[in-house]
Amino acid sequence: MISALQWSTLFVCALVALFRTPSALRGENRSLFGVFALATFAVMLSIESNYTVIDAWLGSHNYANLLLRFVIYGTVLLAGYKIARGFGHPTTVPLLLGPVGLSVLAVIALATIVPFLMANTAGTSVGMAAIPDQSEDNRQLIRLYTAAGRLYPAYVAGCLLPATVGAMRSRLPGLVRSGAAVLSVGAAAMILLVFGELLPGPLVFLQYFISSTAVLGLVAGLALIWLGRVAARRGSRNYPSLADAHRAPGQENIAAEEL
Amino acid sequence: MSTADICRISGLKRTTLAQQLVRGKVAETTVVSISRALGLNPAESLANFSTFADLTRLAQPPTPAELVSQVATMDLLQAVITRSAADPKDGSGTLRALSPAPHATSVRNWVDAIDDGELRHRVSAATGVAPQNYSAQLTANRLSPELAVATSRAGGVGLTGGLVATGLITEAEAGWPVDARQSALDALSDGELVALAGERLQALGKTLRRQEQEQAQTEKIWENLG
Repeated sequence: MISALQWSTLFVCALVALFRTPSALRGENRSLFGVFALATFAVMLSIESNYTVIDAWLGSHNYANLLLRFVIYGTVLLAGYKIARGFGHPTTVPLLLGPVGLSVLAVIALATIVPFLMANTAGTSVGMAAIPDQSEDNRQLIRLYTAAGRLYPAYVAGCLLPATVGAMRSRLPGLVRSGAAVLSVGAAAMILLVFGELLPGPLVFLQYFISSTAVLGLVAGLALIWLGRVAARRGSRNYPSLADAHRAPGQENIAAEEL
Repeated sequence: MSTADICRISGLKRTTLAQQLVRGKVAETTVVSISRALGLNPAESLANFSTFADLTRLAQPPTPAELVSQVATMDLLQAVITRSAADPKDGSGTLRALSPAPHATSVRNWVDAIDDGELRHRVSAATGVAPQNYSAQLTANRLSPELAVATSRAGGVGLTGGLVATGLITEAEAGWPVDARQSALDALSDGELVALAGERLQALGKTLRRQEQEQAQTEKIWENLG
């Protein structure tokens, strides 16, 4: 069940990245392709069978997990920067890349690397929940490392939410608003994931759903906005004009209220 | 006459009509289309339904303000230019025919024309439709037929005005004389005409500016995320 969920998430991400490849080759907005490619790589790396292979190659000390953390940081930072620029919320870009944003990133990066290096991480285990060294100290260190790993996506998501929710309620084109809505769902999931540790034992599996929602929300939301542009290029109506503002309503505009 | 025949002569989709009949809810637009196809007056046909029962019985001519509200903004501006010509009998000053109602802001202009300041509250109280939903319909230049009639009632004017403003029925079908709008326009003093045209232009400017801002915002989103 969970494996199917992860593989379908991977499939969606890979598909979107694939569709974005031609425009990336043409040099159009390559960072968007970067977001899709990084997200695909991150999802791929979080699936057990892939993780095991890659971690074995990296020395079976779960360096693959550390790599995954930083791939995620890179993905959310890049996506967050582009989303903040696009939706034009004046405070969002400094919150991500200003002194505050960079300090948050630095602190979280340290809080990720230090516990990882201090812990005994020998023995490949996806999610690092089942590594051989289960001593209390080691478990605390791993827990700290995991919590730090979830904090940065949540921080970025928190910065973006006002902008995406605002866009959702605006009068922008339909696909852009739907994209903003899906991005908001993804951002909410990223924030929820911080509290994943608090889930009681039998509900721990929900974390997989929340993290899939977060990734899919990000990728699908961006894809919808991109689709909106494709649709707009095909449509005729691109710029508001006097002639446009003064088009009389046709019969189809009348609300089809019923007797 | 079968349902199929009705669809053929009125141009309605068979599935649409069938669905409306099954649900026992036939849209006003359907009644209007069928009436037109059968050569009946749509307003009289609508009057067969309880919601619109007094539509024709309480027929009263539109007020001058209502008539002028159904003149398109560009036609108002044309009238300003025509009147400002040095010699009204000059060739360039000849009147062109007004474009038929409804126009791009006809619904809001009509409501404004009959609004005494409390109209929206009365409509809201009478129909239970929240004022913000009502305003949203006006902004989108539409109004459900039921609300249009309720608005007329609340405004104490003829019941067909709103149906013309929303484009459900034509001026002729509502019983408006052919040159009623032109006469009402001609009856405006220069001051009234220019002030009205100014109001319309201001509203149009606001709409266009908002659209331009939205367009700029959309461009920015696509520049970064498209």
